[in-house]
Amino acid sequence: MQYTLSALVLDSEAAKNRFMGDASERPDAVNPAAAQTDEQLMVAFSRGSTEAFSELFSRYKQPVFGFFRRRVADPAQAEELAQETFLAVLRASSRYEPRALFRTYLYAIGLKILRAHRRKTAFRATFLGASAGFREPTGPDTADAELLLRQAVGKLERVDREILLLREFEELSYSEIAGLLRLPVNTVRSRLFRARVALRELLAAPVAKLPAGELTESEERI
Amino acid sequence: MNITAHPVAPEEVMAFLDGELSAAEARTVSTHIELCTDCAKVVEQLQSTSQALAGWKVDPVPMKLEKSVRDSIARVDSGNKIGKASLFIRGSFWTWKQWAVASGGALAALLLVLAISVPNLYRSRKAAMVSEFAYDDNKQADRDIFGVGALGKLQAGPPASEQQSTELVAPSATPGVAAHAKSTFHGVGGHLQSSSSEDGEITDNVGSYATPMISRTVLLSIVAKDFAASRSLLDRVLARHRGYFGQLNVSTPENSARSLQASLRIPAPELASALADLKTLGRVESESQSGEEVTQQHADLIARLKTSRETEQRFRDILQHRTGKLSEVLQVEEGIARVRGDIERMEAEQKELEHRVNFATVELQLTEEYRAQLNPPAASVSTRIYNGLVAGYRNASETVLGIVIFFAENGPTLLIWLATLGLPVILIWRRYRKALASI
Repeated sequence: MQYTLSALVLDSEAAKNRFMGDASERPDAVNPAAAQTDEQLMVAFSRGSTEAFSELFSRYKQPVFGFFRRRVADPAQAEELAQETFLAVLRASSRYEPRALFRTYLYAIGLKILRAHRRKTAFRATFLGASAGFREPTGPDTADAELLLRQAVGKLERVDREILLLREFEELSYSEIAGLLRLPVNTVRSRLFRARVALRELLAAPVAKLPAGELTESEERI
Repeated sequence: MNITAHPVAPEEVMAFLDGELSAAEARTVSTHIELCTDCAKVVEQLQSTSQALAGWKVDPVPMKLEKSVRDSIARVDSGNKIGKASLFIRGSFWTWKQWAVASGGALAALLLVLAISVPNLYRSRKAAMVSEFAYDDNKQADRDIFGVGALGKLQAGPPASEQQSTELVAPSATPGVAAHAKSTFHGVGGHLQSSSSEDGEITDNVGSYATPMISRTVLLSIVAKDFAASRSLLDRVLARHRGYFGQLNVSTPENSARSLQASLRIPAPELASALADLKTLGRVESESQSGEEVTQQHADLIARLKTSRETEQRFRDILQHRTGKLSEVLQVEEGIARVRGDIERMEAEQKELEHRVNFATVELQLTEEYRAQLNPPAASVSTRIYNGLVAGYRNASETVLGIVIFFAENGPTLLIWLATLGLPVILIWRRYRKALASI
């Protein structure tokens, strides 16, 4: 039995945008920026090339929107947060240093914005009595399988859930996830395994909704 | 699967599938998976879970998002700035240094507010206490004066070596001033007349108080350059205005500024001019004046005195014009004695009250502007170390005592505030955490 390393790599938006397909489909034939790495593009943008950022946006608009769409139930809020992420990159471009992969940098910003959004929503719910959550409407546009997946993932512990999503959809390595969530790599590995096992059980037998409990310290950071 | 007996943990299998193992580890695990059905099952389960997740697709990027970001890129390209993020988002990007600066700034602002407000509060409380004590001291000094015959009070200072005490005879003991003090004053409290008859009875003209009777107290703090000159000038000022020392403490510690604390009694009409003269002693550091109106108190006293005297007169009439049993005579005698006692007590009160009105109190604090001087050779090293240790021990014990006293004084209040504010804060915090967990 031969297992390739891509056995669990999903057909994610990030993978689609890495231009691994035919050369005829690659836009670098007409756009020289498309041949550059993300980090090179970001450095070029920090030096004033807006074309470089346009290229980065083209590569990451779907992954970033997907990042928020899977974590925030309200599509309008997901759109707003994705926009805010790109604006944050635009604002901070002069301070960018290519010390890590651009996608790690981008998802770090995304996580910070997501955290700020959660705090803001919780703050409003606490003081203004506004609804903290958003019930996704179940209708003809929402596939049952997707809804079940969202609900099952939503029942995982917050840290486990975040690790699982970052691995499965954003395709970050264990060490990248550990750096983003400020956890030891071994913890990331064990929690990822736990999350996958728990998700498998949840998908096998849908469970009643778990009560929302208190956050642990590590959950607070996410 | 028995993990303890199994050479490859399921997590390692997962790491292998995720491409997180080194080449050597990957070869080992790959070989093991081919031979182990348990691990093959784990692989199958993990793959099925990932395949299930792969079905979670999201919508394409909305056009609005694309247009908005492209517009922002165009704005940056044309040299324009894009708007700031919201405070929540900006806060989430702060580094620990920014948080430290912001927290430090907030703490400094709070301390600044406390540093300004607390001393003011403390000072006002202290001033209230000082005026209260000054009032009590005045009463005591007046009693002494009436009782002993206008002799100034002598008070010894804490360490005998550092304190010079002086026995003073108040100017009121001099016949002229004493006589004047007993006669008529046209003071700030209005026209007061008291005259003593031969048998000690005092006849008062209550109706003559057309204006309020006010007992005045002045707190004066002065810093003098030449302490000795100011000290002698103070005596001259008192003599000129026919005042006297109610109390005087002079402190001349070694290697430190000399100071004088005095309670001066100045005839009320002379108060303004005496104060003007006292201010020439040096630089006035602080001054406060207060006045207590005692008109009603005085009028009540006079009325009660009049009633008691009438009662006494009636008793005397009965004794002179009526005859009766011995027991009845004795009862009348007892009545006369009781009323006489009341009359004498009220007359003393009246005198004290009028004296407070006639003589204003000036609490004077005179401090020397200290100039350091070349001292003789200091004490030996061992003595200085010993003194330092003693001072250190004293400071440490006083600090501990101060902390204990602070919590003894403010602990109950702090507990009340903690209970008042703590409960809502805990409830809000729990609600916030619950809301955060549900997002």
